[in-house]
Amino acid sequence: MTVRPLAIAVAACCALHTAVAVAQSEPPAATSAAGSGGLSNPAIVPEVPDAPPPRLPDGTVDLTGIWSGGGPIGNIADGLLPGEEIVLLPDSEALMKSRLSRDDPEANCLPTGVPRIAPYPWRIVQHPPHGPATHLFFLFEGNIHSYRQIFVDGRGHPDDLDPTWYGHSIGHWEDDTLVVETIGFNDLFWFDFAGHPHTEQLRVIERYTRTSFGTLENEITIIDPGAYAKPFTVKYTATLRPGWELMEYICNENNQDVPHLIGPPGL
Amino acid sequence: MRSVTLAAAALVALLGARHAVAHHSFATQYDANAPVTLSGVVTKVEWTNPHARFYVDVKEPDGSVTNWNLELASPNVLRCNGWQRDSLKVGDEVLVEGSAARSGAKMANARVVRLADGTRVFARGPEDN
Repeated sequence: MTVRPLAIAVAACCALHTAVAVAQSEPPAATSAAGSGGLSNPAIVPEVPDAPPPRLPDGTVDLTGIWSGGGPIGNIADGLLPGEEIVLLPDSEALMKSRLSRDDPEANCLPTGVPRIAPYPWRIVQHPPHGPATHLFFLFEGNIHSYRQIFVDGRGHPDDLDPTWYGHSIGHWEDDTLVVETIGFNDLFWFDFAGHPHTEQLRVIERYTRTSFGTLENEITIIDPGAYAKPFTVKYTATLRPGWELMEYICNENNQDVPHLIGPPGL
Repeated sequence: MRSVTLAAAALVALLGARHAVAHHSFATQYDANAPVTLSGVVTKVEWTNPHARFYVDVKEPDGSVTNWNLELASPNVLRCNGWQRDSLKVGDEVLVEGSAARSGAKMANARVVRLADGTRVFARGPEDN
C-alpha cells in the first residue's frame, strides 16, 4: 500500500496529533530572528493510503472514519452537476432576498440541517462495526456538536414525524452506494451562507460512494415542491482525515459574531 | 524537505479555504479590503469555540489606549496548524495584521500575529512568510 500526502489537511481541524507524526518527522523551523519571519509551527499533514475503499467481512464498503467536507458550505449552487439548475419559486425567492447574514442559523450556533456541512471534521460510525450495519451515525464536531442517525435496518419513515433539523433518515445499499432518504425537516435551517431556503416539504436523497480509501462522494438531490420549481442535484466530496479526532465544540461558549454580521448573506 | 513541502502545500490549501473555516460568513463580518495593522500588548487570550480570540491594548496617536478584539480560527483548526493554547500569552508584545470588522467595532480577523522577536504565531498562509 502506498501513501500519498493529503495536501489540504490543514484546511480543517484535528485535535489528536500523535497519530500523524509522519509529516512531522522533521523539527519545526527554528524561531526566527526579528524580521526574518520563519514559520515556527509544524502543521499537521495526515497521509491517506492510496488504496481502494475498505470493506467489511460481508463485502459492504466501510464508511467509518473522520471526514471533512461532503456538502455545501458557501453556496449550494457551487455543487450543481452539469445541466442542473436551481429554480426558486417566487415566495422562496422573496424569502431568500429578505434574509440577513446575522439570521443564519449556523452563525447563531444552531444546526446546519441537511445537506449543509460545517467546515469542521465529522465522523461516520457504523453499527454493528463489522457489518452489515443496521445504523449509521454521523457525529459532527461543529456546528453544532450534534449527530445524524441513519437507519439501515429496513424500516420506513413514520407517518407522524415531528419536523426536526436533521429529519428522519433511512438508508439502503445500491451496489457500493449508500442511498439515504431524509424527510421530516423543519424549515428553519439554510442550505448555505447564501441563504437558500426550503420548506417542510423538503425531501433529500443522498448517494454516498466511497470511491477510494480517502474519498467519499456525495450526490445530493433536493426535492422541495414548496420552495423550488423542480428538483436539483449537487455533488460534493468528503475527504478522509486519518489521525484527526473530533474536538469538543460548544458554539455558544463564546459566539460574539452575530451582532457584527452586516447586511444580506454573503460568503 | 519532504515534510516542509507538504506543509507548504497544506498551507496553500488553507489559504484558499481560509474564509470558509468559520461558522459564519467571513465577508459580511470582515472587510478584506480594510486591512488593519495593530501593535500592542496582549491582555487576554480566549481558547474557546466557535473562535479562539485574543485582545490587544493598542496605543492611539493621542496617547489613549484601545482594547481590540481579534478573531482566530477554532481551537481545533489552530491545533491542526501546530498551535497550542499557550502559543500566545498575556503580556506578549505583538504586531497584528488583519481585516477590520464591518460593524465599526474595535474588532478584526487576525491574519498574521508577529511577536517582538519576529516569530509568527497563528500564521495562516504562505503570504505570511
